[in-house]
Amino acid sequence: MSRPNAFLLGAYSALLKLIYPTHLYTCYRDQMLQTIRDADSDRTYNGFQFWSYLFADLIRSSLLEHTRMFRNRIFARPILIHTLALALILTVGGLFAALTIQAALRRSADQPQMQMADKYASALASGSRIQNTLPPLQVDIQHSLEPFAIFYDATGHAVEATGHLADSIPTPPLGVFVHMRTHAISKFTWQPRSGLRIAAVMRRVEGPQPGFILVGRSLKFTEVDEALLRRGTFVTWLLLMCLLAAGALYLDRAERLRRSPTPA
Amino acid sequence: MSSPASDQYLPLTPAVFAILLALSDREKHGYAIMKEAAMPAGGQIKLGPGTLYGTLDRLMRDALVEETGLTDDRRRRYYRLTQFGSQVLAAETSRLSTALRTARARVTAEEVRA
Repeated sequence: MSRPNAFLLGAYSALLKLIYPTHLYTCYRDQMLQTIRDADSDRTYNGFQFWSYLFADLIRSSLLEHTRMFRNRIFARPILIHTLALALILTVGGLFAALTIQAALRRSADQPQMQMADKYASALASGSRIQNTLPPLQVDIQHSLEPFAIFYDATGHAVEATGHLADSIPTPPLGVFVHMRTHAISKFTWQPRSGLRIAAVMRRVEGPQPGFILVGRSLKFTEVDEALLRRGTFVTWLLLMCLLAAGALYLDRAERLRRSPTPA
Repeated sequence: MSSPASDQYLPLTPAVFAILLALSDREKHGYAIMKEAAMPAGGQIKLGPGTLYGTLDRLMRDALVEETGLTDDRRRRYYRLTQFGSQVLAAETSRLSTALRTARARVTAEEVRA
């Protein structure tokens, strides 16, 4: 074997050790290298093509053998496969259910504000004065859970409000008013201050006093419910996964014991 | 003669067929199998050592091929077909012959029509 070929054989041997499945490497390493030496000494092959084919074949066959071994290992233990599939179904199903409940909770937080916004908007549209339409309340938006209403004129300036935040009337971002130019109603989560989230409904008011009526309510209760839901879902999921894992390990062990030969 | 046991291995992959075919006349070592498989009579299948020994390992596990125990060198071992391996090769040959007959008949009919 010439010096370049000895170098290539060394590289092949190193790659063989690195990527070929261990049990095949242990059993066939010497034979594989001898086969290459035999082929090399036969001189019937084109050098470059021969060596590139050998390396490509080694990479391809290593991948195939590893895939085959993995598949055999998995199929040899069907209980684990079924458990993994069940765990995946439960995880996806649980996640979907939790997200659906969370969305329903958030939607229900808008319900009283929707009705109130409709009522105030139609009263104002029919000519009722703003001072007579809104109830004489002063809700502390930061701490209270009561709904509050704010009337903004057509330019977006607050005119009248039943709720205050640190002695001032908060105004939602400009984007909300831009959105209201093309929409009669808008539902959104508003964060007028860090740590304070409001389920807000804004409705466009037509008639003699054009503008926008916003009705909002703190999301504190909903957030508590959402946190409980998240925690409950996670704990339930964890318990289910532990139960599944324990059951699968028990069944897998029992199956292996059943298959193992019993002493005479 | 095919049997339900040999039929379950069919159809064979080209590599398996070439190895069984190469070993069908006498025992051979790895390089001789590789060389014969590459010839037109052996199916012109290019087998590298990675594919060859991985396949041989499976064929020995399934008892289609066995080591003879004879060797002219520690690194050059000889393999031969088992009786079961011969049955599987015969079953595959029969399957291929049937398909080939059909293909020949259809191709000839096409040529006649053309």
